[in-house]
Amino acid sequence: MSARLPRLAVLGLLLLLVLAIPQVVPGVYINVVARAAVYGIVALSMNVLVGYAGQASLGHAAFLGVGAFASGYALTEMGMPFGAALAVAALVGMAAALVLGGVALRVTGLYLALVTIAFGLFAQETLFNIRSLTGGGAGQPAARPSLFQGDVAYTYLCVGVLFLVILFDWRLTATRPGRAIQALRDDERVAASWGIDVTAHKLLAFVISGGIAGIGGGLFASIEQIVSKEDFGLSLSITFLLMTVVGGAGNRWGVVQGGILFAVLPTLLDRTHANFHVFPFTELTATWEPAIGAVLLLLTLTMFPGGIAQQQGALLSWLGGGPFTRDPDAHAPQGGGMGARP
Amino acid sequence: METWIEVVVFGLQRGAIFGLVGLGLALVYKATRILNFAQGELGTVPAFAALMVMTGFETVGDEVADRGLLLPATVVAVLVGALLGVLLYVVVIRPLGKVSPVTSLVATAGVALLLTTIEINVFEARARRFPRPVNGGFDLPGTDVIVDWHTVVILAALAGVALALAAFFRSAPGVALLATAEDPFAAELQGVPVERMRALAWGAAGALGALAGVLGAGVFESLTPGLVTSTFMIPAFTGVVLGGITSMVGAVVGGFALGIVSQAAIQIVTTYELDVPGPPQLAVLVVLLAVLLMRPQGLLGRSA
Repeated sequence: MSARLPRLAVLGLLLLLVLAIPQVVPGVYINVVARAAVYGIVALSMNVLVGYAGQASLGHAAFLGVGAFASGYALTEMGMPFGAALAVAALVGMAAALVLGGVALRVTGLYLALVTIAFGLFAQETLFNIRSLTGGGAGQPAARPSLFQGDVAYTYLCVGVLFLVILFDWRLTATRPGRAIQALRDDERVAASWGIDVTAHKLLAFVISGGIAGIGGGLFASIEQIVSKEDFGLSLSITFLLMTVVGGAGNRWGVVQGGILFAVLPTLLDRTHANFHVFPFTELTATWEPAIGAVLLLLTLTMFPGGIAQQQGALLSWLGGGPFTRDPDAHAPQGGGMGARP
Repeated sequence: METWIEVVVFGLQRGAIFGLVGLGLALVYKATRILNFAQGELGTVPAFAALMVMTGFETVGDEVADRGLLLPATVVAVLVGALLGVLLYVVVIRPLGKVSPVTSLVATAGVALLLTTIEINVFEARARRFPRPVNGGFDLPGTDVIVDWHTVVILAALAGVALALAAFFRSAPGVALLATAEDPFAAELQGVPVERMRALAWGAAGALGALAGVLGAGVFESLTPGLVTSTFMIPAFTGVVLGGITSMVGAVVGGFALGIVSQAAIQIVTTYELDVPGPPQLAVLVVLLAVLLMRPQGLLGRSA
């Protein structure tokens, strides 16, 4: 196959590019790269719920926060090693998601979306304010592991975990439970008629999503090495939803790019504002970032429901081993998107 | 005893604002089956417009609002709100087409974020003083509880809006709107201009939101970007669900119930010195879950 070599070459170059980024980015911005990797992980977590299972989540910052505080508590109060703290974060994230998943069994659609908003606010105002667990207003310290003390090293750790989560997500969609979860998105009753246990798989989707978000939270905690409750507000939950939709719900490469885009956008705007002295950049400061995200969301929903992934359809299809075409059937397993009609 | 009378009085004040925001939510949901997350910003943006009228269009200065201009400023705010509502329908909701309710909720959440960001950039992320139509209060007869005149004003406004809506739904355009909500295709066959009725509902919701914004900013006597979304939206949502999502009366009853419940939650935590942070948010979540799990059609709604 002659088409195989150029494909591998391009993939290899992309991988090298990703691995080179932490080396070439100026020191003051290195934490932004780590944050981008964490947002990529969160986007994959959102994708399991929104893209695969077809559930709404407008309170996802709560899961990130639960993971971050759990990791901080395990590291600081219990003196656990970093790996163990990350495992605790994943478990606590799973437990929190299991609770919400239990509600999702009875409450669906719009009402579930409302519950997730209220859950997010409850987490921010009540849960994250319990001083003995979260350190209250002062925040909870979260040290980095001894092997990854430096900013660059820690960034590589975050990028590495992102790759592991992508790998996990890829295997998930190839397995029976993963496909069963995706069957729920289109029609629960049809899925049930195929012999899929709707209750179990819906809960599984929540638990997987919560676990991934918990890991993301654990990594997030040690970027700044302090966790405070102000980090996990409603606006962050909305940002998470925006990056999933703009990236292209249902497509793992799309949502990861969405996550990275929204993580670097404020810094990007700061830099362009400081360096380019021509019109749009003179007015666009980092405070406009949410507005740009919102406009991207509205453009995505009205014109490209499949998001970034839809626009890169041909490229993603080719890189995945298919033909260079935007025909949606060419990469059938990854369809869906927010625009999927009920 | 008096503390509990105070809980009810404060609860009614907050609840009336929840009710005003909730009426806008229920109206839009009834007409277009969309839960409008941007309803709160349909309140904050007009409130800023009112502030501009009262300060002589000074966006970032410390000019004190001229209370004498509050009435014309409110009229301007209501017009801005109505215009914004129609604009939102024409520019965002209609081009979306037929999508799932969750997708349209996400779109309106995007609009709320967009409007809040614009407010922050134009008016800066800080509090501005915002006047009430009537200052001071009076002693509730037989007690030491002081009732703000502003509470009376809000309750009167809510009553006026409720009466106007009740009259509207008995008039010809009101019935046309109900027909549009019930069955757009059949309504169109009967010669109802469906698109125009939907735009009308969004415009009316914007006007209601503006009223909630101006009176809600008066509750705190200050206005910050995103105020209505961050303080009144989620309880209003919950109130609407509690009352039955398409029921106008339910939106008001649910709003009052939520106002009193969140106020009572704060009071319980203070009285018994419980170490529970964020009592109103906790109460809202508990009420929402209780309603959805036990009576999903709400108190006054018909079963969905």
